[in-house]
Amino acid sequence: MTRKFTLTTVPGLQSEVYVPITPEPVWTPLTKPLSECKVAFITSGGIHKKDQKPFDTAGDWSYREIPSDTPSDQLMVTHGGFDNSDINKDVNAMLPIDRLHELVDEGFIGGLVPTFYGFMGGGGNVDKFEHVTGPEIARKLKDEGADIVLATGGCGTCHRSCTLVLRACEAAGMSTCIIAALPPIARQQGAPRITAPHVPIGSNAGEPNNPAMQMGILKDTLNAMGEFDHFGQMKALPYEYRHNV
Amino acid sequence: MSLSQETLQAHLNDPAVLCCRRPAGTILSADDFEDPSIFPDLIDSNLMSLSDGGLTIGQALGATLIDDGEALTQLTADLLDGVNDDAAPVSPAAAESSEAADVPETSGTYQGGYLHLHVDHAENLDLTLPVGNMPTADGQSASVQHEEPERILRQLVKKEYPVTDVKLGDTTSYKNGVLVIDERLTKEAVKVNPLVKEVTMKIIKPADRHVYSNTIMDVIPIAAKAEGKLGEGVTNVLSGAVFVLTGMDEAGVQVHEFGSCEGFMDEKIRYGRPGSPDDNDIMIRVDVKIEKGTGMERRGPFAAHSACDVIVHACREAIKDLSAVPSIGEETFTDVRRPGKPRVVLVKEIMGQGAMHDNLLVPNEPCGVKGGQKNVDLGNVPVVLSPNEVLDGGIHALACIGPATKEITRHFFREPLVEALQADNELDLTGVVFIGSPQVNDEKTFVSQRLGALIEAMEVDGAIVTTEGFGNNHIDFSENIAAIGSRGVPVVGVTFAAYQGQLVVGNKYMDAMIELNKDPEGFENEILADNTTTPKDAERAILMLKNKMAGVPIKPPERKWDASVIEANNQLIP
Repeated sequence: MTRKFTLTTVPGLQSEVYVPITPEPVWTPLTKPLSECKVAFITSGGIHKKDQKPFDTAGDWSYREIPSDTPSDQLMVTHGGFDNSDINKDVNAMLPIDRLHELVDEGFIGGLVPTFYGFMGGGGNVDKFEHVTGPEIARKLKDEGADIVLATGGCGTCHRSCTLVLRACEAAGMSTCIIAALPPIARQQGAPRITAPHVPIGSNAGEPNNPAMQMGILKDTLNAMGEFDHFGQMKALPYEYRHNV
Repeated sequence: MSLSQETLQAHLNDPAVLCCRRPAGTILSADDFEDPSIFPDLIDSNLMSLSDGGLTIGQALGATLIDDGEALTQLTADLLDGVNDDAAPVSPAAAESSEAADVPETSGTYQGGYLHLHVDHAENLDLTLPVGNMPTADGQSASVQHEEPERILRQLVKKEYPVTDVKLGDTTSYKNGVLVIDERLTKEAVKVNPLVKEVTMKIIKPADRHVYSNTIMDVIPIAAKAEGKLGEGVTNVLSGAVFVLTGMDEAGVQVHEFGSCEGFMDEKIRYGRPGSPDDNDIMIRVDVKIEKGTGMERRGPFAAHSACDVIVHACREAIKDLSAVPSIGEETFTDVRRPGKPRVVLVKEIMGQGAMHDNLLVPNEPCGVKGGQKNVDLGNVPVVLSPNEVLDGGIHALACIGPATKEITRHFFREPLVEALQADNELDLTGVVFIGSPQVNDEKTFVSQRLGALIEAMEVDGAIVTTEGFGNNHIDFSENIAAIGSRGVPVVGVTFAAYQGQLVVGNKYMDAMIELNKDPEGFENEILADNTTTPKDAERAILMLKNKMAGVPIKPPERKWDASVIEANNQLIP
């Protein structure tokens, strides 16, 4: 039946509440103590081994396998979206590989997966990251027994690419957390868990050559994973580093 | 390839920005543009900026890049060959708000639906169709309006009797404006439940409100059925006095969850809100001490409410028959069908996570406890009440969430949205749906999906969804709105969000939202009922719904809570 309504309307009304548009929740609860967990680390901040093919800084959805026992001085960055100087000083500012080994040594975590993954998420192809790169990395990490997947984002669109890969990991049955320099993007893109130190992009995992801060960020992030009990939660971390390039 | 074709179409009038580094000679397509929905984050992070004179995506689409372009470069005419000049240039201001042209000025018309008649074989076919509203050949509605009369379903009369004084005595009575309450009822109240350890009662006059109090669990009107059942007939209501239930446990822990409002009663209550005592109300404070450690279990707060109801009920008995007493006022509420008017539904989300997060639906007496069904026990599924049932005290609220945002028993007794929707001659209010917010995520999805099916069956033309509280219940809130919006039904959301309660989840159907915050800093300020729905909020929500039903655009919100938006909307109310 066609109906005609007469309603009093007034143009110019504005919606009063900001609504972040988030995708469907995806959630794998963390059920083991950290000391029994096998941890993986991935980054969309353009980290790869010096002997690997650099990323195409115009946009690249390929990824590099980084053996988790790679010495940190064998790693480098290829990313055009932010100042690289902090990573050039200390790659742990983006991929805290030395700190992760220290966490294993002190028994804080159970161990590391054999392979980490680096990719360059800037201007990232959403479709490819969601449907190809993400599921591939997730499957490989799952096969290597990862319980936890930690990540750093890098630039703005890197946070989006990173979140897409983490969502694939979460869907594959691993508990994930992004250490975000730009938490609003991670949240809006549907990151399952977010920790947020006050750091600039380019040193997402903490100030270069400041092992105490890098370690604090990692430990607080791992501890927060036990506190988060549902999708989309965020915790601000009490670490601040300013880098004026 | 940062945009899908669908996203591209939605953003043709937004600024064109390269998503990634692109070489000279690139013919621009969806693959090359950054997603405008993340511009604000990128700008906030100093990763890009937008300036005047930029091209829209629609203008840049198909043009050729003259030189190499870096990621996040805003595209301007001098960077491209073959710009599509048909679309207007963009300014940053235009990018933030997309106002459609040709907006109806003061009244809108909503049209929709088809009559499809297919007959394979028929004998003695005798069809009667309403032709008044049928479309004419040129697609316009015929001007003849077929006016079906209103159908009155039921009427409720609230008769008002004044209270000029309240005293404690040895019997309970109401005579000549004086309510006397039997002091010994506190002893009876203790016996109602073994968890109740002590009940005290104090009369607090409007001039003597600087009294310390435990956290306020509820405000309960004194109302009794004189004729008929809940939602119809006559309800006698005392004006000038209300019960205020307060409580703590034996260990001295306040019965509350997110924030509490223990403190001086002149400071911790926003008087005059629909749920609160009014400025001149005498408060009958019933303070209940419950067993240690039970404040955050369902049984503890329920025991406190049951104890208080023993005393309230004695007062109800005293005012059931006032046939010999003249009332000082009468309010008539009518459940009515208005055929031909847009069918709307009000969906009220109530807390259902257990502990104190529970409500009693449709008790025997207005605002009572006995006979009420707990929404938690009902699985939090949607339950429909008639508007009159709500306004006749059909909800006894057990919720002790944040004091400023919780909807307490008196709130429902004079719910502004129910009152305004019911009285609105342009709308046909079908009913009020109460849906709980469960504790388990899977259950949240289950009840939201049941709501969607209910809405589909009700064939409504519009809906308003409200929620009390904030936090995990915003997950339900967004899912409930999506369950309605995804079925093509225009929907408006009403909540406290502001600064402290800003939404963490959302979806595209939440594009018409009403903010309930009244706190200058945007916080749950622990002042009872401060951030709950007022008649003004209800007016904005209804106007926004009418706009949405009529296709009048609603501007997108600011990215942060901004009280001036609410004020500007208030100014637009006719």
